[in-house]
Amino acid sequence: MITINNISKSYPKQKALDSVSLEFLSGQSIALIGPNGSGKTTLIKIILSLVKPDEGDITVLGQDISTSGVYRKDIGYMPQITRFPENMTVRQLFRLVKDLRADISSTSYDLDLYSAYNIESMNAKPLYALSGGMKQKVSAALAFLFDPDILILDEPTAALDPISNERLKEKIRTSYEKEKLVLITSHILSDLDEIVNHVVYLMEGKIAFHKSIEQLRLETDETRLNKIIVTLLQQMEHHVENH
Amino acid sequence: MWKITNYILRDLSKSWIIIGYVLLLFVASWGVFSIENEPDKAILNLLQILLLLLPLFTLVFTTIYYYNSLEFILLLLAQPIDRKKIYRGFAMGLMGTLSLCLLLGMGIPIMIHFPSNQGMMLLLCGLLLTTTFVAIALFLSSRLSDKAKGMGAVLLLWSFFAFLFDGMLLLFMYQFGAYPIESAVLAISFLNPIVIARTSVLMTTEAAAMLGLSGAVFKDFFGSTLGFTVSLLAFIGYTTLFYSLSWKNFKKKDM
Repeated sequence: MITINNISKSYPKQKALDSVSLEFLSGQSIALIGPNGSGKTTLIKIILSLVKPDEGDITVLGQDISTSGVYRKDIGYMPQITRFPENMTVRQLFRLVKDLRADISSTSYDLDLYSAYNIESMNAKPLYALSGGMKQKVSAALAFLFDPDILILDEPTAALDPISNERLKEKIRTSYEKEKLVLITSHILSDLDEIVNHVVYLMEGKIAFHKSIEQLRLETDETRLNKIIVTLLQQMEHHVENH
Repeated sequence: MWKITNYILRDLSKSWIIIGYVLLLFVASWGVFSIENEPDKAILNLLQILLLLLPLFTLVFTTIYYYNSLEFILLLLAQPIDRKKIYRGFAMGLMGTLSLCLLLGMGIPIMIHFPSNQGMMLLLCGLLLTTTFVAIALFLSSRLSDKAKGMGAVLLLWSFFAFLFDGMLLLFMYQFGAYPIESAVLAISFLNPIVIARTSVLMTTEAAAMLGLSGAVFKDFFGSTLGFTVSLLAFIGYTTLFYSLSWKNFKKKDM
């Protein structure tokens, strides 16, 4: 569903991505992990055209993303930090976004998270009055609202309480079981355990590996994702030392 | 695009800074008209207030609003709408709101107390100054990703337009006073939107008679239809130029 071809991006003081090529298919749920500054958020932002790559091209559902913004109709995005206009209320925000997506009829809205998080009860609240966790709930409900085929979630669980966290994970699971594509970045590997089936590990702007969970389990004899990653990183270090 | 403009308008209409701006303009205009018996003089006083207050407020407010809206723009950019439409909607929203403030705050008192050519000219110049300075502020803030730098640049530019330019122009006129420099001064004055506005309004009032001999060139030019057209085109030109430059910055900006 998403084909990333030789993407490079440099910022004035560092190289964020270095000839990254990836292919994501429907039904995959991909954990995009790596140390701080490894280019995860940059890659996500390039897929959304929020950041322009220096080189390379990306197609989403067969459409070259540099030609028009229409391809984003199939993507639900939950950003890392969300700041909303201060004076708007939650209700107005939802109305605005629905208004902007007039192509989707109100009968096909996906209101699972909206009702699970009881967004209705925050409706009259101005957005500046929301706590970090509440903002993340609003952001998650918005990302899933139009039932998109591709979901891109940047650190979705960072500020959520345990129950809301479980609800989101449940939602992610049902999404890729419905043959959608889910792309998640997170530092909390234990959160990713039951909701991803592929792992992309980025290191200094390059792909260290891109493998399915089963394959990784076979290679490392571990079941938990954090154990798998630690074992693999140790193997890679040995590899470097031996050379 | 209009949806975004509409939302910006509604968002801004609830901002107390915007309400304060309208009230300030209203109280100042109403006050000037109640104190001053001759409406022509009142227009000149209003002109002074407008030329000092409007560029500063427009520049600073646009800059702050731009930086504060970036996260929200990010949210919009993730929707299937082209960047250009979002940006245009945003700029139109700002220009529209600030123009509306002027019409409410200064337009109503003028229409009640002194509906005249002079008043209309003052309002027209105010509106054109608003769009021009919104465009200039957007150009600077879309160029500089650091908020403090953006604000600094905007304030520096304001002091240039509001004080330094006049000083430099005076210096130039004293140095070359012995030469026929009227046309040159006329041309130079077009480099500063505030000066264009000031001269255009001044020429419609009786104060124009006091400009003396060298003022004759100005009066001939700005008093004519040609002068009016050129001034109008200069304002539109500045707005378009800085808006396009700001869009060029924004288009390739990494959010």
